[in-house]
Amino acid sequence: MAPLLEPSLLRRLEALALEVRRAVSGQLGGERRSRRRGQSVEFADFRNYTPGDDFRLIDWNAYARLDRFMLRLFVAEEELPLNIFLDLSGSMDWGKPNKADTARRLAGAIAYVALAALDRVRLTVFADGPTSGGAPYRGRKAAALLFARLQSFPAGGVTSYEKLVWPIGRQRRGMSVVISDGLGEPGMEAALSALQRAQQEGAVLQLLAPQELTPDWRGDARLRDAETGVEREFTATPLTQGAYARALQQRTDDIERAAHRRGLRFARLSTSEPIDEMVQLTLRRIGLLA
Amino acid sequence: MTFLAPAAAVLGLTLPVIVALYFLKIRRPTRIVPALHLWPKQIRDRQANVPWQRLRPSWLLFLQLLAAAVLVGAALQPVLPAGAALARHSIVLLDTSASMQATDVSPSRLAEAKRQVNTVIDQLGPQDRMTIITVGPTPRIVAAITGDRDALHRALNDVSASNGPADLSASLALAAGLVRPGDDARAYLYSDGIVQPLRASFASGLPFPVEYHRVGVSGENVALTSLTVRSSAQSRAAYLHVQNFGQQPRSVSLEWRADTRLLDVRPLTLIAGQSQDLVLPVPGDATSVSAHLSGGDVFALDDFATAVARTPRAFRVLLVTPGNVFLEQALRLRNDLQLDVVAPAGYKPSAAYALTVFDRFLPPALPDGPLLVIDPPSGSSLAGGQAVGIGRVRAVDAGDPLLANVDLLDVHVARSQDLRLSSFGRPLIASLQTPLLLVRDEPFRQALFGFDLHESDLPLRIAFPILVQNLSEWMLPPSVPSHSFHPDEPVTIVPESGATSVSVVRPDGSRRALGGGGIATFGDTDLTGLYTVEQTVGGTVARSWFSVNLFSDPISQLKPVDRLTLPPTRTTAVQATHQGQLEIWPWVALAALGLVAAEWLAFHRGI
Repeated sequence: MAPLLEPSLLRRLEALALEVRRAVSGQLGGERRSRRRGQSVEFADFRNYTPGDDFRLIDWNAYARLDRFMLRLFVAEEELPLNIFLDLSGSMDWGKPNKADTARRLAGAIAYVALAALDRVRLTVFADGPTSGGAPYRGRKAAALLFARLQSFPAGGVTSYEKLVWPIGRQRRGMSVVISDGLGEPGMEAALSALQRAQQEGAVLQLLAPQELTPDWRGDARLRDAETGVEREFTATPLTQGAYARALQQRTDDIERAAHRRGLRFARLSTSEPIDEMVQLTLRRIGLLA
Repeated sequence: MTFLAPAAAVLGLTLPVIVALYFLKIRRPTRIVPALHLWPKQIRDRQANVPWQRLRPSWLLFLQLLAAAVLVGAALQPVLPAGAALARHSIVLLDTSASMQATDVSPSRLAEAKRQVNTVIDQLGPQDRMTIITVGPTPRIVAAITGDRDALHRALNDVSASNGPADLSASLALAAGLVRPGDDARAYLYSDGIVQPLRASFASGLPFPVEYHRVGVSGENVALTSLTVRSSAQSRAAYLHVQNFGQQPRSVSLEWRADTRLLDVRPLTLIAGQSQDLVLPVPGDATSVSAHLSGGDVFALDDFATAVARTPRAFRVLLVTPGNVFLEQALRLRNDLQLDVVAPAGYKPSAAYALTVFDRFLPPALPDGPLLVIDPPSGSSLAGGQAVGIGRVRAVDAGDPLLANVDLLDVHVARSQDLRLSSFGRPLIASLQTPLLLVRDEPFRQALFGFDLHESDLPLRIAFPILVQNLSEWMLPPSVPSHSFHPDEPVTIVPESGATSVSVVRPDGSRRALGGGGIATFGDTDLTGLYTVEQTVGGTVARSWFSVNLFSDPISQLKPVDRLTLPPTRTTAVQATHQGQLEIWPWVALAALGLVAAEWLAFHRGI
């Protein structure tokens, strides 16, 4: 099996970092500023000493001036919990380049950026229901395991964003990235609301194939839905192609508005773009990576 | 409405075929799409290759059926009844006389007539034939017994108006020649009225009826009807005749020019029907003079007149006579003759004279050239036999041009030489007893009177100066006549002796070379204006001029005639006219084309 991401790409990804707007709370120490006070070199505040406190934190200079025990508090640096929700429904297994393949590579790239920064990555694959991608991954060494897991999930099934609500609600405050084509019915509104409730910041990345952005065929056809298998007779004309383009744009606009309303970043990506450009240009432009 | 091609109704079977094609079902390739709900519910049958399916209502089907139905309608060639009553053979007589140039109807009477004839052509049925004859100075068949409407339209559109009169008699004779006995024919005369009397031979009638279609509305016209230049010893002057042929008083402006120099501008006011004579100056160095009326009437052709002002070259004539006032006066009437009179004793042969007249005298050696000999003395070379008494005088050939306008009814001759045995030439005037006047063409044009003019009352008759004038013009024709001609009137041009080339420059600048070295007849006088005759004699170009003007009261009298006196019909066939037909299939086909375009648009717009 071909590697999910090329080594040269991995080296370039190491130079990037997830950009967090708010301080986070992790379980283990890391490189992210935490909302909690902890041990680091960055001074945060003073407070009075109470019995039981670590007397190593007593500021003796303050005691000399004030004749009181004062504790020096420092900003705690902790890990960032990153949740990746990857859509591998039937509609994603479509297009050239294939949307599911591209989505796996994109999820791997974002996860690698987090792993390289000692952040904790949790993977959830979803179609007609969520599937856990295993225990959280931490550290650069876990990347190979994560990549193998990503490649092991087949694409298929009907998209159900509503079934994401429960796993999202279980997440601790952190960052979440949803990678999907956004074409499932009903829409992503419920899942995005769940992200807001779970105090997740992050991004919604809509991934589409160039053939569905600009259909390259005309004439009579029997259309079959990639997820449901439902068929319908159809005649493609400039008029119908225009109507389809408007419906797709409407769907994209709805997702973008819903994401922004909930403080989430949004980007529409085409599978024709190289992963490198997606990461270096688009994800940096929307402020997900820095 | 009737149909010229009812058999085309079979094409209506295409309509159920189109519907049947819609019953067939399309074999559609399967395409997997990520989200079917984004695609609009649109289905249209464009190609059927699998039977059968339920017929779906479709705009395309409706438009295709409608277009096919209209195309079938066009193929049926529907026709509507038109206004004209047509015979199987329609003979259009189209007046192309000068008055048809009048612009009282826009753009001109001829254009209006052509428009009306074009309408009739469009109404011809498939069995109908048409002949178009232009009624001008010379009638011309421009389309003969044809049902080809395109050819008829083309021929008609090529017709233009002449500057001359209309010869209706010749045109009717031409039309009658095209109609066979028993033909269902009818003639349609499109004209503003032709007042020329018809030939007596038409009294027995024509083999077809003639319908007169009047063209034109107004007769308001002020015209120049005459312009002549007269010379006297003291001066030269032009005499111009202007006439208002209309029913309203008119004010016009007269421009008077010598060559291209403007000499005078005179305002003229003429009440209805009034004419006015004007005497206008002619400069001594002028070659031609011209008058132009500006006032914007509807007929421009008679608003311009031109005349030659240059005095023609004079011929020297020698009259050798013991005394003959009648002959001398008659010869002096021609202003281009310079007459010298000598007594027989003073006669000396001279080559300077173009014509020599010997009256009761004849020299032993006759001069080479034109000669008029009157009563040669007995014993001379041309003398006849013993004098005989003469009774009644008559013309040998009354139609001889040398006797034109010569009335011999009251002419008497007392005595004449007996010329019966003379070998001089052919007799022109004779009596029962003897020829009285002989003429010959070879070796030179010469004439011989056998009697003394004093022994006849001929010099007292008006016939005498006319006869002398005819003979002198026959013997000494002017090189180029300087008087005005009518359009299309032939002009006789006698080249100067020694002329190597002769050509005529027309008013529009075009040049016509005259072939041969002899007397030529120039017929391209359809344009009005000044014509220049150029002759190359000894390396130099000699120019002379003649003018062509309308000068025709019947043509300038523009008022269209409501009713024409036309020959009766000599019925040889049952006149079974039928209504003309107006074919509307081009419009139906155009509608079908519009429907096909709409269908194409609907198809590509995906409606």
